[in-house]
Amino acid sequence: MMDNSLVATNVRQRPLRTLISVVGVALGVVLIVLVVGLSRGMLKEQGRRNSNVGAEIIFRRPGAVSFTSNFGLSLPIQYAQRLSTIEGIENVSPVGQYLKPSDQGFGAELIDGIEYESYAKVSNIRIVKGKSFSTGNEVIVDPTYVKNRKVKLGDSIELFGKKFTITGIYEPEIGSRIKMNLSLMQSILNAQDRATFVLVKCKTNFTEQNVAAEINQQLPGNQLLFVRDLQELYEKGSSALNTFLSVIIVISIVISTLVIMLAMYTTITERTREIGILKSLGAPKRFIIVTIEKEALLISLLGIVFGYVVALAGRFLITYYTPLFIDIETKWMLVAGLCGIVSGFFGALYPALRAANQDPIKAISYE
Amino acid sequence: MKTILKTVDLKMTYQLGKVSVNALRGINLEVKEGEFVAIMGPSGCGKSTLLHILGAMLKPSSGQVLIDGEDISKMNEAARTEVRRRKIGFVFQKFNLFPTLTTEGNIKLAENIRRNGASKTSAKRDEILKLLNLEKRLHHKPIEMSGGEQQRVAIARALVSSPAIILADEPTGNLDSENSQIVLNMLQKLNQQLGQTIIMITHNSEAAAVAQQTVYMKDGQIVQ
Ligand SMILES: Nc1ncnc2c1ncn2[C@@H]1O[C@H](COP(=O)(O)OP(=O)(O)OP(=O)(O)O)[C@@H](O)[C@H]1O
Ligand SMILES: [Mg+2]
Repeated sequence: MMDNSLVATNVRQRPLRTLISVVGVALGVVLIVLVVGLSRGMLKEQGRRNSNVGAEIIFRRPGAVSFTSNFGLSLPIQYAQRLSTIEGIENVSPVGQYLKPSDQGFGAELIDGIEYESYAKVSNIRIVKGKSFSTGNEVIVDPTYVKNRKVKLGDSIELFGKKFTITGIYEPEIGSRIKMNLSLMQSILNAQDRATFVLVKCKTNFTEQNVAAEINQQLPGNQLLFVRDLQELYEKGSSALNTFLSVIIVISIVISTLVIMLAMYTTITERTREIGILKSLGAPKRFIIVTIEKEALLISLLGIVFGYVVALAGRFLITYYTPLFIDIETKWMLVAGLCGIVSGFFGALYPALRAANQDPIKAISYE
Repeated sequence: MKTILKTVDLKMTYQLGKVSVNALRGINLEVKEGEFVAIMGPSGCGKSTLLHILGAMLKPSSGQVLIDGEDISKMNEAARTEVRRRKIGFVFQKFNLFPTLTTEGNIKLAENIRRNGASKTSAKRDEILKLLNLEKRLHHKPIEMSGGEQQRVAIARALVSSPAIILADEPTGNLDSENSQIVLNMLQKLNQQLGQTIIMITHNSEAAAVAQQTVYMKDGQIVQ
């Protein structure tokens, strides 16, 4: 008893209604794909940059909820000297991190305060253009920063309400995109002799596990992160982020479901008489429900495809015109698509049941 | 000849709030296979109510309705739907075609709903379309056709599943006299050439003249 003729013609019959419902479903899909892609893309990028560090271990004070939320200068710099005396450690370098509200209106921007000499020893950093910062109001930035902000050597940027001059461009991309002198950051933030964490580089004949064990013994109670785990840590995201993403998914399902429900409800009211005709022809409830569900699923499918196209175009535009990273993963595309299907199915369910349960005589004499 | 439809003391009472309307007050009707019966009577006498009950669209308050020997009067909605699908072909005053579908689409949809597993050849459809002179209207939608043509499509649709009975409620009520005549002639032809059993409500005694037998109703009863 399969019959798709009504499904196809009904979708075409009311182009505006179809379009609005398609856009409604697409909106949900775009919301999921882009928001998830954006948050995961940014985290992944951050993770990638952090794991570019040559050091193997990050040492920091206990108490941070997650790696991503431990900014501010709270670690006494004496720990760096203390660490350098531990066997198996080749070099150490204290780093201060300051989270500055972004002047682009989205998110925030991290600034590293480093001691260039020691930092260079634990990482592979090198200046590819210009020179390193001095003790004055100077910074070095990475090539992506130069590209995104359209700045060049000698330009000024504003940090802490002061003008800072870009004196050099460094590679590879490590940690934050802007780096400045640590002691200058300390005095601006009124945190003398403090840092956020210490980068630890192990000697070649020592494993990071052994070194970590030694640190734990001599300086118990601190947090040690292995740089090679960072990428994964970032990709997993925090539980707060995952909650946020779940909320986005629920919102998108609710939007799409409501749009479909409204569209299908209008449709069945408009077509009451046709439902009566189907009943007079002996179409069982199942036939009517399936016909309406198919129409809704066809609309959802169109919406999903449209949503994918918009999301991909959106990613292109956003990553082209802003410094944001959007990571569109197949998994999340599928999740978004599934949400569209689920919305279509459940949105149409009530209208379909209502249509199927109509009285045949009332339906067929509906004006 | 075989009795295809029989009612025994059929009653129908509509409940309108506290008021009850006795639309049918004991109808005893017998229709033999291959008969063409016209039902006439003043407005509100219960003709449509009777037709809806005979067509399993409506459950009577009491009495029996036997179609092909099967009592449909106590059936639930699902079973009545099945009876409509297998045994009944409706033709309405307002044609009731699907506006988005062509002639062919309307007929195929009915075929798809009514097909019980075995797929029928299109031979039967072609014969019907020829008989109703619709071959050239296959790809037209309802609004592209005259009322007479639309009603002929509706008749074709009712016929494709070879129903035991065609039930027509004022099939010419929305047609001018010329188209009425064409549709009535077609119904007569179906009855005579295919032996199709037809029960037709009409207000028009000329229309009733194409039937072999006319039943007159008044106040929910058969008067003659
Ligand atoms: N759904 C309903 N609820 C209540 N009363 C109804 C309903 N349908 C019909 N009636 C009443 O039942 C009686 C018979 O109606 P019915 O439609 O069967 O008459 P009819 O002979 O077909 O009339 P007409 O020639 O005008 O079509 C009328 O009094 C009508 O008002
Ligand atoms: Mg009537």
